[in-house]
Amino acid sequence: MEKKRLVPWSVYFGLETEFGISVLENADIDVVEESIHLVRSASQLGSPNLWDYTKEDPHQDARGFRAKELRQDADEANFFSQDRQRPYSFEEIKSDFVLRNGARLYNDHTHPEYSTAECSTLIELIAQDKAGERILEECAKASSKKRRHTVCMYKNNTDFAGHSYGCHENYLIPRLIPWDRLVEGMLPFLITRQIYAGAGKLGWEREDHGMLGGYQISQRADFFTELVGIDTMNRRPIINTRDEPHANPKLYRRFHVILGDANLSEFSTWLKVGTTALVLEALQYERIPKRFFLADPLYAHRSISRDPKFRWEIELAQGGRTTAIELQNEYADWVARYVDLDHPEKEKVWKAWKETLRTLSSNPYELKDRLDWMAKFWLLQTFREDQNLSWDDPWLQSLDLEYHLVDRSRGLFYALESAGDIIRLTTDEDICQAIQQPPSSSRAFVRGKCIQRFSKDLINVQWDYIAFRFNGQTYRLDLASAFPGVDLEVYCEVIDNAKSVGDIVKNLNLKPMGN
Amino acid sequence: MLMPEQGQKNKQMIPTPGPGGGSGPGPQAPQVEKPNTEEILKRMRKVDPDQARRYRQRTGE
Repeated sequence: MEKKRLVPWSVYFGLETEFGISVLENADIDVVEESIHLVRSASQLGSPNLWDYTKEDPHQDARGFRAKELRQDADEANFFSQDRQRPYSFEEIKSDFVLRNGARLYNDHTHPEYSTAECSTLIELIAQDKAGERILEECAKASSKKRRHTVCMYKNNTDFAGHSYGCHENYLIPRLIPWDRLVEGMLPFLITRQIYAGAGKLGWEREDHGMLGGYQISQRADFFTELVGIDTMNRRPIINTRDEPHANPKLYRRFHVILGDANLSEFSTWLKVGTTALVLEALQYERIPKRFFLADPLYAHRSISRDPKFRWEIELAQGGRTTAIELQNEYADWVARYVDLDHPEKEKVWKAWKETLRTLSSNPYELKDRLDWMAKFWLLQTFREDQNLSWDDPWLQSLDLEYHLVDRSRGLFYALESAGDIIRLTTDEDICQAIQQPPSSSRAFVRGKCIQRFSKDLINVQWDYIAFRFNGQTYRLDLASAFPGVDLEVYCEVIDNAKSVGDIVKNLNLKPMGN
Repeated sequence: MLMPEQGQKNKQMIPTPGPGGGSGPGPQAPQVEKPNTEEILKRMRKVDPDQARRYRQRTGE
């Protein structure tokens, strides 16, 4: 990673991934117990129990109201009731760690969840995302040793039986973009981007039910039944309306994308986040043309994923048909009218976007070295021919699962990568660095350095602030405006040079809060 | 907010997925140079055919 050439985007982006967990020797494991032990294995990399839950409100809706109830509240209450029988407190079950690289690792709905530090360059985000995989790989090894069985971690989104878990993307964007413009502008884009962002899946599902047979390009498309909504666990919407900016709410909105797949391929993640950020940036200036609108977005979402011919035809609201490739091409051309493509990373993403679409229309199989769904399809196809299996053979689904194993000595994605059959954007050194250090171009730098150097003085942490104790009083370092070119450089310099939290108080002129 | 042009239709049947699950023969084998597949096949043959059936998770977000 050539740090000197990094030019920040005007947005922050981040990924939050729920991992699957199993034990090789025992299918009937207690996943809650396993997840608790697994996350706690990361104790060398961070500080526990600092996360401030009092400031979280997943009920706040971007449409301008507060939802009284989420559909998942009942499920959450049910899980909570089951988990209350355990000899653990809420905090012990969550096992929250703020890590020295600015990320967060904890248990969410019994899945170990890694939330990357916010980044303002894509290449840092990819390194931070891969750092999460490596951390969980190490946690699984440590937990396996301690518990005397083999803990397996999967970066995927389904158990093939109708239970999905997410890889959410977050884009901090200006609130001045009208919400209606975002919804209409992002729907056709998000539905069609799966042709390069999908992770691939054998079989198909609905809630609590799975069937063998057939290959589709998306892991998550089966689970989306609504166009717009605030829920994330039931009746999931294409556009999620949760409104928690974790920044100044008058100026910023966190656009929360929940329909994406968890990608192993660095290129897939890079292209997925990069193109989405480009479209969001263009929406600051203009609405999408009405000719992009889809006649039936939910139908298109699933039919694209399941198209056996990879033609991905869709019906347009204004009449006529097009393909997902064509529509994505139209988005790319439209974006080029509004976004400054002299920015090095934006230009790179835009060119890769066009090139990927070109290859998808000529010979999609060439993309098996960079797109997860195609790499997996090629693996399954090759194995199927070798063993003379039909597409509904359960063995293929087991291989699908093995593709996502984060253990690099066994996982099939990593078998391809180590053979040189998958292109990379980072080096192993970049990833090692991202495990130990926060990204330099976001407020996560301040958070990570505080964890590294002043963790004993910290009281609590959120994405947009850090509270600490000094001389018996509480001080709060507000990061809501800590953006490149706005306050970030000052904060970074103060943190870098501080020998104690007293230096932070003095040099940033912080005032004590009422205790 | 949902734009009127983007209203959903409920009546269409969603196809079952891909090759083997849908109609038609599905895509042909990759038309690219075939790499040495023996190593990866060896690794794949070791995967327990039943592991996906045993893999059960709680619903997440």
